[in-house]
This record gives sequence, structure tokens and C-alpha cells, in this order.
Amino acid sequence: MSAAAVAAVTGVIFGLKQVAPVLGLSILYLLAVLPVASVFGLAYALGVSIASMLAFNFFFLPPLHTLALTDSANWVALLVFVVTSIVVSELAARARRRAFAAAEADALRRSDAAKTAVLHAVSHDLRSPLTAIRVAAGGLESGSVALGEEDRAELLETIRLETARLERLVANLLDLSRLEAGVAPARRELWPVDELVSRALESLGPDAARVEVTLDGDAPLVSVDAGQLERVLVNVLENALRFSSPADPVELVVGSTGDEVLVRISDHGPGLADGDVERIFEPFEHGRTGGEGTGLGLAIARGFAEANGCRLWAEPSAGAGAAFTLALPSAAARPTLVR
Amino acid sequence: MSDARVLVVDDEPQILRALQTNLRGVGYEVATAATAREALAAAAMRPPDAVILDLVLPDGSGIDVARELRSWSEAPILVLSVVGDEAEKVAALDAGADDYVQKPFGIDELLARLRALLRRAGPSTEPVLEVGELVIDLDKRLVTVGGRRVQLTPNEFDLLRVLAQNEGKLMTHPALLREVWGPAYGTESHYLHVYVSQLRRKLEDDPSRPRYVLTEPGAGYRLVAPVARS
Repeated sequence: MSAAAVAAVTGVIFGLKQVAPVLGLSILYLLAVLPVASVFGLAYALGVSIASMLAFNFFFLPPLHTLALTDSANWVALLVFVVTSIVVSELAARARRRAFAAAEADALRRSDAAKTAVLHAVSHDLRSPLTAIRVAAGGLESGSVALGEEDRAELLETIRLETARLERLVANLLDLSRLEAGVAPARRELWPVDELVSRALESLGPDAARVEVTLDGDAPLVSVDAGQLERVLVNVLENALRFSSPADPVELVVGSTGDEVLVRISDHGPGLADGDVERIFEPFEHGRTGGEGTGLGLAIARGFAEANGCRLWAEPSAGAGAAFTLALPSAAARPTLVR
Repeated sequence: MSDARVLVVDDEPQILRALQTNLRGVGYEVATAATAREALAAAAMRPPDAVILDLVLPDGSGIDVARELRSWSEAPILVLSVVGDEAEKVAALDAGADDYVQKPFGIDELLARLRALLRRAGPSTEPVLEVGELVIDLDKRLVTVGGRRVQLTPNEFDLLRVLAQNEGKLMTHPALLREVWGPAYGTESHYLHVYVSQLRRKLEDDPSRPRYVLTEPGAGYRLVAPVARS
């Protein structure tokens, strides 16, 4: 490659030497030296400068087509060229090293930030339910706290709710680590999307009552891992429910374009700013204000969606509620069931 | 039922203790084991009426215990599996386990599954089956929900019949396909998914929130009497 570069520059100088003094044109060889210096480093660049110098001497400096030199001014010109090219090469190589080191430091800093985020999320999100459970259990067993029937029921309910929260957190962390390690193979089967939706609503629990569902009984079948798609739908629905007031419904509509089955989930919460529509799918990001989750749900949803050949995206809609769309590629027409 | 003897196998002492307390509380006689070896020895010494079996044991897999037990015992086996381990769960069902609950489970759920498993060894042979508001007359091939007549195709009816005869029990895909479509259809589970979604549209008030026919992803279906929704 470096030989080709030197040859190309030599050709260019041949063309230009009619219109410009040939000694000044030697500077053009830096065009061959610089890229080599910035990609391969100083040692290679030195080789290219020496080759350039020899080529220039051979083709352009009298006596032509020999490596001998008669004019002392030409000696000076060649020397200047070599020194310039060494200095430039060194600068380029240094810039390259610096860019490399910066990229490395950046990667380290980012992985550090991720670790800090995990530790922060884990310590906060694990500790608060643990505290609640411990306090509630302590109250129940303590002889010195006078509890009415209602108080006892309340404390038991606290324990139940907080264990459910811990459960979700652990499941999410596990899903995320599986996704990142690439050890969650999709076990695909043909499913009607209504089945996936009803399964997701079931595992949402009592909150599912707030979801208004419109199914499409004729939509084609999709080939996905039902368990993983359930996680996608549950996580997106949980997000939508968390950001809307209990009085407002969350809408889920199934439709089909022929090539794809679309599941659209929209809420009446605060919506998403333009800049957040991608950021919310990053782990540990809280796109919308007031988020109390770990910021894992949507990252997992997108991970599982993509592992199943589906797409999941959000649309900006500040002030008008957020809308998420899951697009599942159609795999087969619904078999017509005669019997 | 209250005299039924249940063998609980789990290596986690706190889980063992919690299960033991709850099971005794509703009248079962409980034996416990913490390893695969102890489990097989305990089952051999006094055959249990049902086994609750954790899949992860210090000296081997619960799957092997299930297979070994199944080779000489008819006692139903309820497996405790971990979320996300679908393959493990299916392997346990293949090895002869009858049903599973996923850890962490609620005690009500576990007791309901155990009751269904102990209710009868084989499927019901009653001529008229009633599950919640659902009534199935097997001789006349008539189905009503809350008094409303429901028209089913022959396959839909057979599917519903098999599920209802095994009320509360997990029916795996292969088992349902075999019983309804015959032995040649062991792997066509998407037929099943489509028929179930069709059946739901005819039976359920809200097909997106089924209360009778429940999906167990990766495993099969079960028909239950609806619980009041909170």
C-alpha cells in the first residue's frame, strides 16, 4: 500500500512539474507519509519517507534516473524533506496513540459508570424493600407493639408487595445478565399474538385491569419464544402503567400490516421528549421524570424483542402520553380450522 | 385428602420449614428430604401420595429423582422450578413430573396444584363436567357457560373435554395433541395455540384475560375454575 502511495504521488509530480518548481513539489510526498504514520506508526512512516526521497531523487533531480546528486541545493531540499516527514510522522503517530488511549480510557470509564449504576441500583432497590419487610415482620412479632386486626393485615400486605418487588428486580437483573452474556436462546414456536398478549396480562397481576385491549383475531401467526415475548410485553406495560395516573387506562392495540403484526401500547402519562426515545432503552436510564424502577425493564424488553427478530421503539409525544410499538414479523397465515 | 402423605424435597432448610409448616397446617402428613439420595430412600421406606420436588439438589438433579421415582411409583410429582429455566422444567415434565410451580411461588398456588394432583389418579369419568359456570355434557356434546349455549367444532369440543376431565392439572402440548388429534400430531403445537385462542373467544367473557383456559408457556394448558378477580 505504501509503495502504491509513493508511486501515485510520483505520478502527480510528473504532471505538475510543468507548472511549478519541482523542488517545492517534493512536499507532496508527505501525502503518502502522513496516512502511513497515523495508521501504522513512526517506523513504517520512516520507511515511506526514505522511499519517497529516493523516488524523488531518481525521477526529478539531475542527473535524472540515477541516485547521484550534482547540485548541493538539491541535497538541502532532500534533507529538509526527510526532517519534515519525520517530524510530521511523529506528530501523527503521537496523535494516534493519544486517540487510542482516550478511547481506552473512555471504555473503562463507561464500564465503571455501568458498575457504579448497578451497585447503586442494587443497593437502593434491594435495601428499601428489605427494610420494609424487616420492619413489617418485626412489628408483627414484637410483643410491645399493640396491633389491631387491620394493622396486622396492612403489615402482611407490605411484606407481600415488597417481596413481589424484590422478585421483579431479581428477575430483571437475571434477564439482563443473560441477554448481555448471550445465553438466552429463543425457543421459537408459532403463536397467535392474542395468546402472547393474554399471557402477559395474566402475569401483570391486578394492574392488568387498567389495560384496555383490542385484539385482532385474523392477524397472522408469529414465530417467537413465548416466554421472552411475554417479558417484552410485561415490561413495556409496566412502564406505561407506572407513568400514568391510576384513573387513566393504558391502551394495547393489535394490528397487522401483512408483513408484520404490530402491538401498540400507549399511555396518558407525561410522554417522552424527542431526545429520550432512544435513551430510555439503555440499561439504568430513567428517561421520564419520576421513574422509580431500576431502569432495566425497557432495556430488557428491547433485548428480548431483537433476539426474536422483532423491533421495539418509542415515539416522542411530549405532553400527550408515550406510545411504544412492537413489530413482530409475520411467520404464517392462521390455519383455517374447519373442524 | 387430609391424611395424604406428602414428601417434600428441597435442600434449602428455610423453604423446607415453611412448606412443612403450611402443609401440616392444612392437614397433610409431611416427610422431608434435603438430597436426592434421602428423597429416594424416604420414598422407598414409606411410599408418599405426592412428592414436591426441587430441581436443584446438592447431590444431583431433581429430574433424575423424578425419573427414578416414576419407574416404580404412580405418586404425582410437583416440581419446584426457577424462573427462566424453561428447558429444565420441560425436561422434568418429560422425565415424569406432573406439574410445576415457579419459585418464588405463593402457598395458595402450591396448595391448589397439590390438591388437583391428589384429587384423582386418572381423568374424571363423569358424564357431565362442571367447572365454575362452565358445564360440559359429554354424551350430548353440549357446552354452556353461565347458561349460555356455546357452539364448538368437534376438535374444540374434544380439546375442552380433555382439559375439563383433568381440571386443574397441567396438560402438556404432546398429551393434548395426542388425545385430541391422535398420535401422529405430537409436535404441531401451533395448532393447539390457535385452537385455544379460538376456544377462548367462544368461552371467555374477555378472551384477552382468560379465566378458564390458562397458558403455561413452553409446557401446556390447564383448565381451572375462575377465581374472583380483585
